[in-house]
Amino acid sequence: MIDFSATTAFRLVRQLAVAGRDAPSIYLLVCETAAMGAVRTDLEAEVQVQLGVDLRSLSSAEVQPERLGDVFSHGTAWPVILITLDRWLPKLADSFDRNIVLLARSGTVLFVAGRDIAERVLAAAPNLRNRLTDILLITPDETFGDPPA
Amino acid sequence: MQTKTDLRSGTVAFDRRQVYRPFLERLNPIASLRDLADRDVIVPRDHDPCDAGQAPIHVAFADAAELSRGTQMALVGGIGSGKTTELLLTQKVLSRHSDAVNIFVDLANYTDLNELNTGAILATVGMRLYSLLKKRDKKPPEEVTSAHTRLRELALGKTTWVPAEQWLDYDNDEEPEAIRVNVPGLMRLRFPALRREVKELKELLLNIASPLLDNDAQITLLIDGLDRLIRPERFREYADQDLQALRGTKLTIIVAVPLLLWYDPSRFLQDYFDLVKHIPAAAAGPGDLAFLKQILERRGALELMDRAEVTSIARCSGGVLRDLLTLARSAAAYAYRDDQDRIGRKHVLAAIKQLGNRYLAGLGTTKRLRLRRLAASNEFSIQDPTAQELLVNRQVLEYFDLGREFFAVHPALAKVLPKPPA
Repeated sequence: MIDFSATTAFRLVRQLAVAGRDAPSIYLLVCETAAMGAVRTDLEAEVQVQLGVDLRSLSSAEVQPERLGDVFSHGTAWPVILITLDRWLPKLADSFDRNIVLLARSGTVLFVAGRDIAERVLAAAPNLRNRLTDILLITPDETFGDPPA
Repeated sequence: MQTKTDLRSGTVAFDRRQVYRPFLERLNPIASLRDLADRDVIVPRDHDPCDAGQAPIHVAFADAAELSRGTQMALVGGIGSGKTTELLLTQKVLSRHSDAVNIFVDLANYTDLNELNTGAILATVGMRLYSLLKKRDKKPPEEVTSAHTRLRELALGKTTWVPAEQWLDYDNDEEPEAIRVNVPGLMRLRFPALRREVKELKELLLNIASPLLDNDAQITLLIDGLDRLIRPERFREYADQDLQALRGTKLTIIVAVPLLLWYDPSRFLQDYFDLVKHIPAAAAGPGDLAFLKQILERRGALELMDRAEVTSIARCSGGVLRDLLTLARSAAAYAYRDDQDRIGRKHVLAAIKQLGNRYLAGLGTTKRLRLRRLAASNEFSIQDPTAQELLVNRQVLEYFDLGREFFAVHPALAKVLPKPPA
């Protein structure tokens, strides 16, 4: 098991706040499948409280590989997009890889995936891997013992 | 210097964010390179990375574009090696002449690269040229405007209303008048014939460019993004149509191409392009190490870390420029998390381990075996598909030193690669 740095929604969003809205970033957040719902909820709350913006949350099925431009278009001053990679969709991974510039100019992009899907995405998408700001193991806030935001 | 939070009033006497934030902004590996160029934090190489006796790539490209209009040039390098930076530097050098018209496009910003999209380069360049002409002259000549209208129709499609009676019902009983039969020729053409639409796009593009070409302007197209197609055959589909269509025109083209074309046994790259430049990973020698350290120093690294840490980061980046920035950024984030005002050795080591783990993810048994063999005995055959995947993913890096090309495991990955079972 690869020992990525661990984080929580609180810590991650704090890091985003430090970098500021003008710093585009792409994170791959690896988590236990059972904890995915809790992590998503934590992220939504932390983004709202710490950054003062709404998190746009999408599942991989809601992202059409040939229409990435629509997903990553600028709508707000600080777009924060969360995409849950809940199934292995090779065409989608390929599309992220080839059109990586669309992600890199879109504020903050957070991918959440289980370990297996995360590894498959990394292996299939070298451009995405190289441009990831970081890969982190994320756990729900209470597990980590962080203070509430 | 310490953070002191006044618990009673809740005010922060010293805000550490203001120490790290500017540094992180300068180090963002996916920040807009144009912004970085404006801030003067880009360090140009002082020679060709494959030949210390030759001019830097951006100078060689600019010279060729200025002296031989219509030249087609290719820039090859792995992911994160600095191709976009070289293209931007080339553009900057070319701007020294007032008649220079430089069109820089990342194709993925304009078209969906998932599908075969021949004609996309010609269409994108045509639209960009027209937009530039409109800025210079509010009313371009009529033939230019109509060429642009038709080019947009071809590129983006159009909607027309046709009277319903013009559409005939298909009658199943009716025999078709003719059936298309293709008889393949004996000769295998070096380049396939241009598709009808591509030919038309070429003519339209030349019409749009005519006011500039008639005035002897120097037009250079810098095309980024096609290197992300990864597979050589995908790139060739564009070369066989769009680039081939531009042959014989006075439009110069510089294009970023996938790294695997450098190793393609067909030698397409070397045979097709007039000038090919390769950016291998840096850090093969002391000169390269100095170049890498200079990049970090220009971005303010010495304000936050000692020279020893800068050297460690430069070495463990493997010479991949984006990894260099990622490591420094990651080390800064660890230091900030530790409430430290400077980046220490342990933060750099943590960043190196984290980068190594990123490269370790997704590596199966076969790939790990290949990596161990390379590390132990320099055994690495680039024609092997697994080896190619490792190279494309930057788990293996290609170096060039003293006229000799060789491969090595990415140093950050080498540090975390598990030892084989005894």
